[in-house]
Amino acid sequence: MSAHPTLASVIRSEWLKFRSVRSSIMGVAITFVLTIGIGALITASIRTHWTAHPEAHIGFDPVTTSLGGTLFAQFAVGVIGALFVTAEYSSGSIRSTLAATPRRVEVVLAKLAVLVGSLLVVSEVAVFVTFLMGQAIYSGVVPTASLSTPTVLRAVLFGGLYLTLLGTIGMALGWLLRQSAACISVFTSLILVLPIVTFLLPSSWQNTIGRFEPSTLGQSMESVSPPAHAFSAGASLLVLALYATVLMAAAATALTRRDA
Amino acid sequence: MIAIEHLTKRYRKTVAVDDLDLVVQPGVVTGFLGPNGSGKSTTMRVIMGLDRPSRGRATVNGRPYHDLRDPLREVGALLEAKAVHPGRSARNHLRALAASNKIPFSRVDEVLEFVGLASVATKRVGDFSLGMGQRLGIAAALLGDPGVLLFDEPVNGLDPEGIRWIRDLFRSLAAEGRTVFVSSHLMSEMAVTADQIIVIGKGHLITQGSVSDLTAAAKGAVVVRGNDRERLERALRAAGATVEVVNDDALRVGELSAEAVGQLAFDEGVVLFELTPERASLEEVYMALTAGVVEYGSGSS
Ligand SMILES: Nc1ncnc2c1ncn2[C@@H]1O[C@H](COP(=O)(O)OP(=O)(O)OP(=O)(O)O)[C@@H](O)[C@H]1O
Ligand SMILES: [Mg+2]
Repeated sequence: MSAHPTLASVIRSEWLKFRSVRSSIMGVAITFVLTIGIGALITASIRTHWTAHPEAHIGFDPVTTSLGGTLFAQFAVGVIGALFVTAEYSSGSIRSTLAATPRRVEVVLAKLAVLVGSLLVVSEVAVFVTFLMGQAIYSGVVPTASLSTPTVLRAVLFGGLYLTLLGTIGMALGWLLRQSAACISVFTSLILVLPIVTFLLPSSWQNTIGRFEPSTLGQSMESVSPPAHAFSAGASLLVLALYATVLMAAAATALTRRDA
Repeated sequence: MIAIEHLTKRYRKTVAVDDLDLVVQPGVVTGFLGPNGSGKSTTMRVIMGLDRPSRGRATVNGRPYHDLRDPLREVGALLEAKAVHPGRSARNHLRALAASNKIPFSRVDEVLEFVGLASVATKRVGDFSLGMGQRLGIAAALLGDPGVLLFDEPVNGLDPEGIRWIRDLFRSLAAEGRTVFVSSHLMSEMAVTADQIIVIGKGHLITQGSVSDLTAAAKGAVVVRGNDRERLERALRAAGATVEVVNDDALRVGELSAEAVGQLAFDEGVVLFELTPERASLEEVYMALTAGVVEYGSGSS
Protein backbone atom coordinates (compact mmCIF):
# COMPACT_ATOMS: atom_id res chain seq x y z
CA MET A 1 0.00 0.00 0.00
CA SER A 2 1.39 3.37 -0.91
CA ALA A 3 1.30 5.83 1.93
CA HIS A 4 0.71 9.16 0.25
CA PRO A 5 -2.68 10.91 0.37
CA THR A 6 -5.21 9.72 -2.20
CA LEU A 7 -8.69 10.94 -2.99
CA ALA A 8 -10.06 8.02 -0.93
CA SER A 9 -8.01 8.94 2.14
CA VAL A 10 -8.98 12.61 1.84
CA ILE A 11 -12.64 11.59 1.59
CA ARG A 12 -12.21 9.54 4.79
CA SER A 13 -10.72 12.60 6.47
CA GLU A 14 -13.56 14.88 5.34
CA TRP A 15 -16.20 12.35 6.38
CA LEU A 16 -14.66 12.27 9.86
CA LYS A 17 -14.78 16.07 9.97
CA PHE A 18 -18.37 16.20 8.73
CA ARG A 19 -19.76 13.89 11.35
CA SER A 20 -17.66 15.18 14.25
CA VAL A 21 -19.29 18.60 14.57
CA ARG A 22 -22.66 19.48 15.94
CA SER A 23 -23.58 21.84 13.10
CA SER A 24 -23.77 18.99 10.55
CA ILE A 25 -25.73 16.74 12.88
CA MET A 26 -28.10 19.60 13.75
CA GLY A 27 -28.42 20.53 10.08
CA VAL A 28 -29.41 16.99 9.16
CA ALA A 29 -31.93 16.86 12.01
CA ILE A 30 -33.41 20.20 10.97
CA THR A 31 -33.69 19.01 7.36
CA PHE A 32 -35.76 16.04 8.55
CA VAL A 33 -37.90 18.08 10.89
CA LEU A 34 -38.67 20.77 8.31
CA THR A 35 -39.37 18.40 5.42
CA ILE A 36 -41.51 15.98 7.38
CA GLY A 37 -43.01 18.35 9.96
CA ILE A 38 -44.10 21.03 7.49
CA GLY A 39 -45.25 18.32 5.06
CA ALA A 40 -47.50 17.01 7.83
CA LEU A 41 -48.85 20.49 8.61
CA ILE A 42 -49.62 21.27 4.97
CA THR A 43 -51.32 17.95 4.21
CA ALA A 44 -53.33 17.95 7.45
CA SER A 45 -54.53 21.48 6.79
CA ILE A 46 -55.54 20.59 3.20
CA ARG A 47 -57.47 17.58 4.50
CA THR A 48 -59.29 19.72 7.09
CA HIS A 49 -60.35 22.35 4.54
CA TRP A 50 -61.17 19.90 1.77
CA THR A 51 -64.59 20.60 0.23
CA ALA A 52 -66.76 18.51 -2.02
CA HIS A 53 -66.73 21.09 -4.86
CA PRO A 54 -64.59 19.58 -7.61
CA GLU A 55 -63.98 23.00 -9.29
CA ALA A 56 -62.12 24.14 -6.16
CA HIS A 57 -59.46 21.51 -6.73
CA ILE A 58 -58.41 22.07 -10.32
CA GLY A 59 -54.67 21.52 -10.60
CA PHE A 60 -54.42 19.94 -7.14
CA ASP A 61 -51.29 17.82 -6.88
CA PRO A 62 -51.08 15.43 -3.91
CA VAL A 63 -47.34 14.97 -4.56
CA THR A 64 -46.21 18.62 -4.63
CA THR A 65 -48.33 19.50 -1.62
CA SER A 66 -46.94 16.63 0.45
CA LEU A 67 -43.37 17.74 -0.46
CA GLY A 68 -44.07 21.36 0.60
CA GLY A 69 -41.61 21.05 3.49
CA THR A 70 -38.70 21.08 1.04
CA LEU A 71 -39.37 24.81 0.52
CA PHE A 72 -38.08 25.27 4.07
CA ALA A 73 -35.57 22.43 4.19
CA GLN A 74 -33.72 23.93 1.20
CA PHE A 75 -32.31 26.59 3.54
CA ALA A 76 -31.14 23.95 6.00
CA VAL A 77 -29.22 22.01 3.32
CA GLY A 78 -27.76 25.24 1.92
CA VAL A 79 -26.43 26.09 5.37
CA ILE A 80 -25.04 22.56 5.86
CA GLY A 81 -23.10 22.87 2.59
CA ALA A 82 -21.86 26.39 3.27
CA LEU A 83 -20.82 25.74 6.89
CA PHE A 84 -18.89 22.60 5.96
CA VAL A 85 -16.50 24.98 4.15
CA THR A 86 -16.79 28.32 5.97
CA ALA A 87 -16.20 26.74 9.40
CA GLU A 88 -12.70 25.87 8.15
CA TYR A 89 -12.08 29.51 7.32
CA SER A 90 -13.54 30.99 10.50
CA SER A 91 -11.50 28.63 12.69
CA GLY A 92 -8.36 28.79 10.53
CA SER A 93 -8.21 25.01 10.19
CA ILE A 94 -8.26 25.40 6.39
CA ARG A 95 -4.49 25.89 6.63
CA SER A 96 -3.90 22.51 8.29
CA THR A 97 -6.28 20.94 5.79
CA LEU A 98 -4.42 22.37 2.79
CA ALA A 99 -1.02 21.62 4.30
CA ALA A 100 -2.07 17.98 4.73
CA THR A 101 -3.49 17.86 1.18
CA PRO A 102 -1.54 20.30 -0.98
CA ARG A 103 -3.41 19.21 -4.12
CA ARG A 104 -6.33 21.44 -3.36
CA VAL A 105 -8.68 20.02 -5.99
CA GLU A 106 -8.67 16.81 -3.95
CA VAL A 107 -9.98 18.73 -0.94
CA VAL A 108 -12.77 20.24 -3.05
CA LEU A 109 -13.70 16.83 -4.49
CA ALA A 110 -13.54 15.05 -1.13
CA LYS A 111 -15.75 17.60 0.63
CA LEU A 112 -18.16 17.47 -2.32
CA ALA A 113 -18.31 13.67 -2.22
CA VAL A 114 -19.01 13.64 1.52
CA LEU A 115 -21.68 16.33 1.23
CA VAL A 116 -23.45 14.83 -1.79
CA GLY A 117 -23.30 11.34 -0.28
CA SER A 118 -24.76 12.47 3.04
CA LEU A 119 -27.38 14.81 1.61
CA LEU A 120 -28.55 12.29 -0.94
CA VAL A 121 -29.34 9.78 1.79
CA VAL A 122 -30.86 12.36 4.14
CA SER A 123 -32.96 14.14 1.49
CA GLU A 124 -34.26 11.00 -0.21
CA VAL A 125 -35.26 9.46 3.12
CA ALA A 126 -36.92 12.72 4.14
CA VAL A 127 -38.92 13.16 0.91
CA PHE A 128 -40.09 9.55 0.76
CA VAL A 129 -41.15 9.64 4.39
CA THR A 130 -43.01 12.92 3.98
CA PHE A 131 -44.64 11.72 0.75
CA LEU A 132 -45.90 8.48 2.32
CA MET A 133 -47.01 10.29 5.45
CA GLY A 134 -48.83 12.93 3.38
CA GLN A 135 -50.69 10.29 1.40
CA ALA A 136 -51.65 8.53 4.63
CA ILE A 137 -53.04 11.82 5.97
CA TYR A 138 -54.96 12.45 2.72
CA SER A 139 -56.36 8.96 2.40
CA GLY A 140 -60.11 8.64 2.54
CA VAL A 141 -60.72 12.38 2.05
CA VAL A 142 -58.30 13.87 -0.45
CA PRO A 143 -57.21 12.12 -3.68
CA THR A 144 -53.84 10.45 -3.18
CA ALA A 145 -50.92 9.48 -5.43
CA SER A 146 -48.99 6.22 -5.52
CA LEU A 147 -45.30 5.52 -6.05
CA SER A 148 -46.27 2.87 -8.57
CA THR A 149 -47.08 5.73 -10.99
CA PRO A 150 -43.73 6.52 -12.72
CA THR A 151 -44.25 10.32 -12.76
CA VAL A 152 -45.07 10.28 -9.04
CA LEU A 153 -41.99 8.24 -8.23
CA ARG A 154 -39.94 10.66 -10.35
CA ALA A 155 -41.37 13.73 -8.58
CA VAL A 156 -40.51 12.36 -5.13
CA LEU A 157 -37.06 11.18 -6.21
CA PHE A 158 -36.31 14.57 -7.79
CA GLY A 159 -37.42 16.26 -4.55
CA GLY A 160 -34.43 14.63 -2.84
CA LEU A 161 -32.15 15.57 -5.74
CA TYR A 162 -33.35 19.17 -5.53
CA LEU A 163 -32.30 19.39 -1.88
CA THR A 164 -28.94 17.71 -2.57
CA LEU A 165 -28.15 20.11 -5.41
CA LEU A 166 -29.07 23.13 -3.30
CA GLY A 167 -26.71 21.87 -0.60
CA THR A 168 -24.00 21.67 -3.26
CA ILE A 169 -24.71 25.25 -4.33
CA GLY A 170 -24.38 26.28 -0.66
CA MET A 171 -21.00 24.53 -0.53
CA ALA A 172 -19.78 26.26 -3.71
CA LEU A 173 -20.77 29.62 -2.23
CA GLY A 174 -18.83 28.64 0.89
CA TRP A 175 -15.63 28.18 -1.12
CA LEU A 176 -16.19 31.35 -3.11
CA LEU A 177 -17.19 33.68 -0.25
CA ARG A 178 -15.41 31.99 2.71
CA GLN A 179 -17.78 33.62 5.23
CA SER A 180 -20.91 32.07 6.69
CA ALA A 181 -22.92 35.28 6.85
CA ALA A 182 -22.14 36.26 3.26
CA CYS A 183 -23.05 32.76 2.04
CA ILE A 184 -26.35 32.70 3.82
CA SER A 185 -27.37 36.13 2.47
CA VAL A 186 -26.44 35.23 -1.11
CA PHE A 187 -28.12 31.84 -0.86
CA THR A 188 -31.31 33.32 0.59
CA SER A 189 -31.33 36.02 -2.10
CA LEU A 190 -31.04 33.41 -4.85
CA ILE A 191 -34.06 31.54 -3.54
CA LEU A 192 -36.31 34.22 -2.08
CA VAL A 193 -35.36 37.61 -3.49
CA LEU A 194 -34.84 36.58 -7.12
CA PRO A 195 -38.52 35.56 -7.62
CA ILE A 196 -39.64 38.89 -6.14
CA VAL A 197 -37.39 40.85 -8.49
CA THR A 198 -38.66 38.81 -11.44
CA PHE A 199 -42.21 39.42 -10.35
CA LEU A 200 -41.65 43.17 -10.84
CA LEU A 201 -40.65 42.66 -14.48
CA PRO A 202 -43.08 42.72 -17.47
CA SER A 203 -44.95 39.41 -17.68
CA SER A 204 -43.29 38.19 -20.89
CA TRP A 205 -39.91 38.56 -19.15
CA GLN A 206 -41.25 36.94 -16.01
CA ASN A 207 -41.95 33.74 -17.89
CA THR A 208 -38.63 33.67 -19.73
CA ILE A 209 -36.48 34.49 -16.73
CA GLY A 210 -38.60 32.85 -14.06
CA ARG A 211 -38.07 29.32 -15.35
CA PHE A 212 -34.32 29.63 -14.68
CA GLU A 213 -34.77 30.43 -10.99
CA PRO A 214 -33.82 27.67 -8.54
CA SER A 215 -37.24 27.80 -6.86
CA THR A 216 -39.10 27.37 -10.17
CA LEU A 217 -36.77 24.54 -11.16
CA GLY A 218 -37.59 22.90 -7.84
CA GLN A 219 -41.35 23.27 -8.33
CA SER A 220 -41.08 21.64 -11.72
CA MET A 221 -38.91 18.81 -10.39
CA GLU A 222 -41.32 18.06 -7.52
CA SER A 223 -44.60 18.04 -9.41
CA VAL A 224 -46.22 15.41 -11.58
CA SER A 225 -46.77 17.85 -14.45
CA PRO A 226 -44.65 21.02 -14.60
CA PRO A 227 -46.22 24.42 -13.81
CA ALA A 228 -47.02 26.78 -16.74
CA HIS A 229 -43.99 28.39 -18.42
CA ALA A 230 -41.57 26.13 -16.53
CA PHE A 231 -39.04 23.66 -17.94
CA SER A 232 -39.93 19.96 -17.84
CA ALA A 233 -38.82 18.11 -14.71
CA GLY A 234 -35.88 16.48 -16.51
CA ALA A 235 -34.72 19.76 -18.07
CA SER A 236 -35.07 21.48 -14.69
CA LEU A 237 -32.85 18.87 -13.07
CA LEU A 238 -30.24 19.40 -15.79
CA VAL A 239 -30.30 23.20 -15.44
CA LEU A 240 -29.96 23.01 -11.65
CA ALA A 241 -27.16 20.43 -11.94
CA LEU A 242 -25.46 22.74 -14.42
CA TYR A 243 -25.62 25.64 -11.92
CA ALA A 244 -24.10 23.45 -9.22
CA THR A 245 -21.35 22.21 -11.55
CA VAL A 246 -20.41 25.67 -12.80
CA LEU A 247 -20.31 27.06 -9.25
CA MET A 248 -18.23 24.12 -7.99
CA ALA A 249 -15.80 24.54 -10.88
CA ALA A 250 -15.50 28.24 -10.04
CA ALA A 251 -14.95 27.26 -6.41
CA ALA A 252 -12.15 24.82 -7.29
CA THR A 253 -10.49 27.43 -9.51
CA ALA A 254 -10.70 30.07 -6.80
CA LEU A 255 -9.26 27.75 -4.17
CA THR A 256 -6.30 26.71 -6.31
CA ARG A 257 -5.51 30.30 -7.28
CA ARG A 258 -5.95 32.11 -3.98
CA ASP A 259 -3.71 32.28 -0.92
CA ALA A 260 -5.06 30.17 1.94
CA MET B 1 16.33 21.32 4.93
CA ILE B 2 14.41 24.41 3.92
CA ALA B 3 15.68 26.68 1.15
CA ILE B 4 14.28 30.04 0.16
CA GLU B 5 15.52 31.70 -3.00
CA HIS B 6 14.81 35.29 -3.98
CA LEU B 7 11.44 35.09 -2.30
CA THR B 8 9.16 38.09 -2.71
CA LYS B 9 5.58 38.12 -1.48
CA ARG B 10 3.33 41.07 -2.18
CA TYR B 11 -0.23 41.53 -0.88
CA ARG B 12 -1.86 44.27 -2.94
CA LYS B 13 0.17 47.27 -1.73
CA THR B 14 2.17 45.63 1.08
CA VAL B 15 5.47 43.95 0.32
CA ALA B 16 5.56 41.37 3.12
CA VAL B 17 8.75 39.58 2.02
CA ASP B 18 11.30 41.22 -0.22
CA ASP B 19 13.88 39.17 -2.14
CA LEU B 20 14.70 36.91 0.79
CA ASP B 21 17.34 34.18 0.59
CA LEU B 22 17.64 31.65 3.41
CA VAL B 23 18.77 28.14 4.11
CA VAL B 24 17.57 26.38 7.26
CA GLN B 25 19.82 23.43 8.08
CA PRO B 26 18.91 20.15 9.74
CA GLY B 27 20.31 19.16 13.13
CA VAL B 28 20.03 22.58 14.75
CA VAL B 29 17.29 24.82 16.09
CA THR B 30 17.05 27.88 13.85
CA GLY B 31 15.45 30.95 15.37
CA PHE B 32 13.58 33.25 12.98
CA LEU B 33 13.42 36.74 14.42
CA GLY B 34 11.98 40.04 13.39
CA PRO B 35 9.75 42.81 14.69
CA ASN B 36 5.96 42.66 14.21
CA GLY B 37 5.00 42.65 10.56
CA SER B 38 8.49 41.81 9.32
CA GLY B 39 7.27 38.85 7.26
CA LYS B 40 7.98 35.80 9.45
CA SER B 41 4.52 34.28 9.25
CA THR B 42 4.28 35.08 5.55
CA THR B 43 7.58 33.29 4.89
CA MET B 44 6.33 30.25 6.79
CA ARG B 45 3.03 30.21 4.89
CA VAL B 46 4.92 30.30 1.59
CA ILE B 47 7.14 27.39 2.72
CA MET B 48 3.97 25.43 3.56
CA GLY B 49 2.54 26.02 0.09
CA LEU B 50 -0.32 28.05 1.54
CA ASP B 51 0.54 31.42 0.03
CA ARG B 52 1.86 31.65 -3.49
CA PRO B 53 5.12 33.59 -3.88
CA SER B 54 5.02 36.71 -6.07
CA ARG B 55 8.59 35.91 -7.12
CA GLY B 56 11.22 33.35 -6.19
CA ARG B 57 10.53 30.06 -4.49
CA ALA B 58 10.69 28.00 -1.32
CA THR B 59 11.58 24.32 -1.20
CA VAL B 60 11.55 21.63 1.45
CA ASN B 61 14.08 18.84 0.99
CA GLY B 62 14.70 20.22 -2.47
CA ARG B 63 11.10 20.24 -3.66
CA PRO B 64 8.29 22.80 -3.59
CA TYR B 65 5.71 21.91 -0.95
CA HIS B 66 3.10 21.04 -3.59
CA ASP B 67 5.32 18.28 -4.94
CA LEU B 68 5.83 16.50 -1.61
CA ARG B 69 4.48 12.98 -1.90
CA ASP B 70 3.75 12.55 1.73
CA PRO B 71 3.31 16.05 3.19
CA LEU B 72 2.65 15.30 6.88
CA ARG B 73 5.45 12.75 7.04
CA GLU B 74 7.92 15.26 5.62
CA VAL B 75 6.86 18.57 7.17
CA GLY B 76 5.00 19.42 10.36
CA ALA B 77 3.91 22.94 11.22
CA LEU B 78 2.30 24.95 13.97
CA LEU B 79 1.22 28.15 12.27
CA GLU B 80 -1.58 29.54 14.41
CA ALA B 81 -2.74 28.68 17.89
CA LYS B 82 -6.11 26.92 18.07
CA ALA B 83 -6.77 26.88 14.33
CA VAL B 84 -9.27 24.07 14.92
CA HIS B 85 -13.06 23.91 14.66
CA PRO B 86 -14.12 24.81 18.23
CA GLY B 87 -16.81 22.13 18.27
CA ARG B 88 -14.49 19.25 17.39
CA SER B 89 -12.57 17.20 19.93
CA ALA B 90 -8.78 17.19 19.94
CA ARG B 91 -8.75 13.53 18.98
CA ASN B 92 -11.13 13.96 16.06
CA HIS B 93 -9.16 16.93 14.78
CA LEU B 94 -5.97 14.89 14.73
CA ARG B 95 -7.73 11.81 13.37
CA ALA B 96 -9.03 13.80 10.40
CA LEU B 97 -5.49 15.00 9.64
CA ALA B 98 -4.10 11.50 10.13
CA ALA B 99 -6.73 9.93 7.87
CA SER B 100 -5.90 12.23 4.97
CA ASN B 101 -2.25 11.12 5.03
CA LYS B 102 -2.93 7.49 5.96
CA ILE B 103 -1.31 7.81 9.36
CA PRO B 104 -2.63 5.15 11.76
CA PHE B 105 -4.98 6.40 14.52
CA SER B 106 -2.72 4.83 17.14
CA ARG B 107 -0.26 7.63 16.34
CA VAL B 108 -2.94 10.19 17.28
CA ASP B 109 -3.15 8.84 20.82
CA GLU B 110 0.64 8.71 20.98
CA VAL B 111 1.09 12.40 20.19
CA LEU B 112 -1.79 13.41 22.46
CA GLU B 113 -0.07 11.54 25.27
CA PHE B 114 3.25 13.14 24.37
CA VAL B 115 1.96 16.73 24.55
CA GLY B 116 0.02 16.02 27.74
CA LEU B 117 -3.50 16.26 26.30
CA ALA B 118 -4.48 12.57 26.62
CA SER B 119 -6.90 13.29 29.47
CA VAL B 120 -8.79 15.92 27.44
CA ALA B 121 -8.63 14.12 24.08
CA THR B 122 -12.41 13.97 23.76
CA LYS B 123 -13.11 17.51 24.97
CA ARG B 124 -14.24 20.27 22.60
CA VAL B 125 -11.25 22.31 21.46
CA GLY B 126 -13.36 25.45 21.95
CA ASP B 127 -13.03 24.92 25.72
CA PHE B 128 -9.23 24.66 25.57
CA SER B 129 -6.98 27.36 27.03
CA LEU B 130 -4.51 29.10 24.73
CA GLY B 131 -1.70 26.93 26.05
CA MET B 132 -3.68 23.73 25.48
CA GLY B 133 -4.46 24.92 21.95
CA GLN B 134 -0.74 25.47 21.42
CA ARG B 135 0.00 21.93 22.64
CA LEU B 136 -2.61 20.55 20.25
CA GLY B 137 -0.92 22.44 17.41
CA ILE B 138 2.40 20.87 18.41
CA ALA B 139 0.76 17.44 18.46
CA ALA B 140 -0.51 18.07 14.93
CA ALA B 141 2.97 19.09 13.79
CA LEU B 142 4.49 15.90 15.23
CA LEU B 143 1.73 13.64 13.86
CA GLY B 144 3.59 12.33 10.82
CA ASP B 145 6.95 12.19 12.64
CA PRO B 146 8.36 14.61 10.03
CA GLY B 147 12.01 15.55 9.46
CA VAL B 148 11.21 19.24 8.97
CA LEU B 149 9.29 21.25 11.57
CA LEU B 150 8.07 24.85 11.53
CA PHE B 151 6.71 26.65 14.56
CA ASP B 152 5.29 30.18 14.36
CA GLU B 153 5.47 31.88 17.77
CA PRO B 154 5.09 28.58 19.63
CA VAL B 155 5.57 29.90 23.17
CA ASN B 156 2.56 32.25 23.03
CA GLY B 157 0.23 31.33 25.86
CA LEU B 158 2.48 28.72 27.43
CA ASP B 159 3.26 28.80 31.15
CA PRO B 160 6.90 28.68 32.35
CA GLU B 161 6.76 24.90 32.66
CA GLY B 162 5.39 24.71 29.11
CA ILE B 163 8.07 27.05 27.80
CA ARG B 164 10.79 24.90 29.31
CA TRP B 165 9.12 21.77 27.91
CA ILE B 166 8.93 23.18 24.40
CA ARG B 167 12.54 24.39 24.54
CA ASP B 168 13.69 20.89 25.46
CA LEU B 169 11.44 19.47 22.74
CA PHE B 170 13.06 21.68 20.05
CA ARG B 171 16.54 20.69 21.20
CA SER B 172 15.76 16.99 21.19
CA LEU B 173 14.08 17.21 17.76
CA ALA B 174 17.17 18.94 16.40
CA ALA B 175 19.45 16.42 18.11
CA GLU B 176 17.61 13.69 16.19
CA GLY B 177 18.78 15.39 13.01
CA ARG B 178 15.56 17.20 12.15
CA THR B 179 15.24 20.71 10.74
CA VAL B 180 13.62 22.92 13.40
CA PHE B 181 12.57 26.43 12.33
CA VAL B 182 11.05 28.56 15.09
CA SER B 183 9.85 32.13 14.79
CA SER B 184 9.69 34.62 17.61
CA HIS B 185 9.90 38.34 18.10
CA LEU B 186 11.77 37.90 21.38
CA MET B 187 15.53 37.58 21.10
CA SER B 188 15.75 36.67 24.80
CA GLU B 189 13.66 33.57 24.05
CA MET B 190 15.69 32.58 21.01
CA ALA B 191 19.01 33.22 22.77
CA VAL B 192 18.33 30.28 25.06
CA THR B 193 16.57 28.03 22.53
CA ALA B 194 18.22 28.44 19.14
CA ASP B 195 21.65 27.53 17.80
CA GLN B 196 21.31 29.53 14.62
CA ILE B 197 19.56 32.87 14.32
CA ILE B 198 18.07 34.55 11.28
CA VAL B 199 16.93 38.14 11.70
CA ILE B 200 14.63 39.83 9.18
CA GLY B 201 13.11 43.29 9.09
CA LYS B 202 10.55 44.63 6.61
CA GLY B 203 10.88 41.42 4.64
CA HIS B 204 14.66 41.75 4.19
CA LEU B 205 17.35 39.55 5.64
CA ILE B 206 19.25 41.58 8.25
CA THR B 207 21.69 39.04 9.56
CA GLN B 208 22.15 35.37 10.16
CA GLY B 209 24.63 33.31 12.13
CA SER B 210 25.17 31.34 15.30
CA VAL B 211 24.23 32.87 18.63
CA SER B 212 27.91 33.26 19.57
CA ASP B 213 28.77 34.87 16.20
CA LEU B 214 26.09 37.44 16.74
CA THR B 215 27.19 38.39 20.24
CA ALA B 216 30.81 38.49 19.17
CA ALA B 217 29.96 40.77 16.29
CA ALA B 218 28.31 43.15 18.69
CA LYS B 219 30.52 46.15 19.30
CA GLY B 220 31.13 46.43 23.01
CA ALA B 221 32.38 49.54 24.75
CA VAL B 222 34.91 50.08 27.54
CA VAL B 223 34.21 52.39 30.47
CA VAL B 224 37.38 53.89 31.85
CA ARG B 225 38.06 56.30 34.76
CA GLY B 226 41.48 57.68 35.71
CA ASN B 227 43.25 60.55 37.43
CA ASP B 228 43.60 62.69 34.28
CA ARG B 229 40.48 62.53 32.15
CA GLU B 230 41.53 65.13 29.54
CA ARG B 231 44.93 63.63 28.89
CA LEU B 232 43.42 60.16 28.50
CA GLU B 233 40.66 61.44 26.22
CA ARG B 234 43.19 63.14 23.91
CA ALA B 235 45.27 60.00 23.69
CA LEU B 236 42.26 57.79 22.97
CA ARG B 237 40.98 60.05 20.22
CA ALA B 238 44.45 60.12 18.70
CA ALA B 239 44.31 56.31 18.66
CA GLY B 240 41.06 56.46 16.66
CA ALA B 241 38.59 55.59 19.42
CA THR B 242 35.19 57.15 19.86
CA VAL B 243 34.94 58.74 23.28
CA GLU B 244 31.99 59.93 25.28
CA VAL B 245 32.05 61.46 28.76
CA VAL B 246 29.86 59.74 31.31
CA ASN B 247 29.22 60.70 34.95
CA ASP B 248 31.65 63.70 34.68
CA ASP B 249 34.81 61.75 35.31
CA ALA B 250 34.42 58.53 33.30
CA LEU B 251 34.78 57.89 29.58
CA ARG B 252 32.93 55.38 27.42
CA VAL B 253 35.32 54.25 24.72
CA GLY B 254 34.26 52.59 21.49
CA GLU B 255 36.37 50.87 18.80
CA LEU B 256 39.13 49.83 21.22
CA SER B 257 39.48 46.72 23.37
CA ALA B 258 39.92 46.95 27.16
CA GLU B 259 43.50 45.73 26.72
CA ALA B 260 44.28 48.53 24.25
CA VAL B 261 42.72 51.18 26.51
CA GLY B 262 44.72 49.90 29.55
CA GLN B 263 47.95 49.91 27.56
CA LEU B 264 47.31 53.43 26.30
CA ALA B 265 46.66 54.70 29.84
CA PHE B 266 49.88 53.09 31.04
CA ASP B 267 51.81 54.67 28.16
CA GLU B 268 50.34 58.07 29.02
CA GLY B 269 51.09 57.63 32.69
CA VAL B 270 47.43 57.91 33.70
CA VAL B 271 46.47 56.03 36.83
CA LEU B 272 43.30 54.03 36.25
CA PHE B 273 40.59 53.62 38.89
CA GLU B 274 38.23 51.65 36.66
CA LEU B 275 38.41 49.69 33.41
CA THR B 276 35.13 47.93 32.59
CA PRO B 277 34.38 46.16 29.30
CA GLU B 278 30.68 46.39 28.45
CA ARG B 279 29.46 43.44 26.43
CA ALA B 280 26.21 44.01 24.57
CA SER B 281 23.54 41.42 25.29
CA LEU B 282 21.97 39.53 22.41
CA GLU B 283 18.81 41.51 23.09
CA GLU B 284 20.71 44.78 22.60
CA VAL B 285 22.31 43.46 19.45
CA TYR B 286 18.89 42.62 18.14
CA MET B 287 17.42 45.99 19.07
CA ALA B 288 20.30 47.73 17.34
CA LEU B 289 19.95 45.56 14.24
CA THR B 290 16.26 46.10 13.86
CA ALA B 291 16.11 49.71 15.04
CA GLY B 292 15.87 50.96 11.46
CA VAL B 293 13.22 48.52 10.32
CA VAL B 294 10.59 48.48 13.03
CA GLU B 295 7.30 48.86 11.23
CA TYR B 296 4.96 49.40 14.13
CA GLY B 297 7.32 51.09 16.64
CA SER B 298 5.99 52.74 19.78
CA GLY B 299 7.00 56.22 18.63
CA SER B 300 8.98 57.29 21.70
CA SER B 301 12.19 55.50 20.67
N1 LIG C 1 -3.05 37.89 3.90
C1 LIG C 1 -2.51 39.12 3.95
N2 LIG C 1 -3.06 40.13 3.25
C2 LIG C 1 -2.54 41.36 3.26
N3 LIG C 1 -1.43 41.71 3.95
C3 LIG C 1 -0.82 40.75 4.66
C4 LIG C 1 -1.32 39.41 4.71
N4 LIG C 1 -0.51 38.68 5.49
C5 LIG C 1 0.45 39.52 5.93
N5 LIG C 1 0.27 40.76 5.43
C6 LIG C 1 1.15 41.92 5.67
O1 LIG C 1 2.48 41.51 5.42
C7 LIG C 1 3.36 42.04 6.40
C8 LIG C 1 4.10 40.90 7.08
O2 LIG C 1 3.20 40.18 7.92
P1 LIG C 1 3.60 38.87 8.72
O3 LIG C 1 2.36 38.41 9.39
O4 LIG C 1 4.29 37.94 7.82
O5 LIG C 1 4.62 39.42 9.80
P2 LIG C 1 5.21 38.70 11.10
O6 LIG C 1 6.68 38.89 11.01
O7 LIG C 1 4.70 37.34 11.22
O8 LIG C 1 4.64 39.61 12.28
P3 LIG C 1 4.24 39.22 13.79
O9 LIG C 1 5.50 39.21 14.60
O10 LIG C 1 3.36 40.34 14.20
O11 LIG C 1 3.55 37.89 13.76
C9 LIG C 1 2.53 42.88 7.32
O12 LIG C 1 2.63 44.22 6.92
C10 LIG C 1 1.13 42.37 7.12
O13 LIG C 1 0.20 43.39 7.33
MG1 LIG D 1 3.48 36.33 12.65
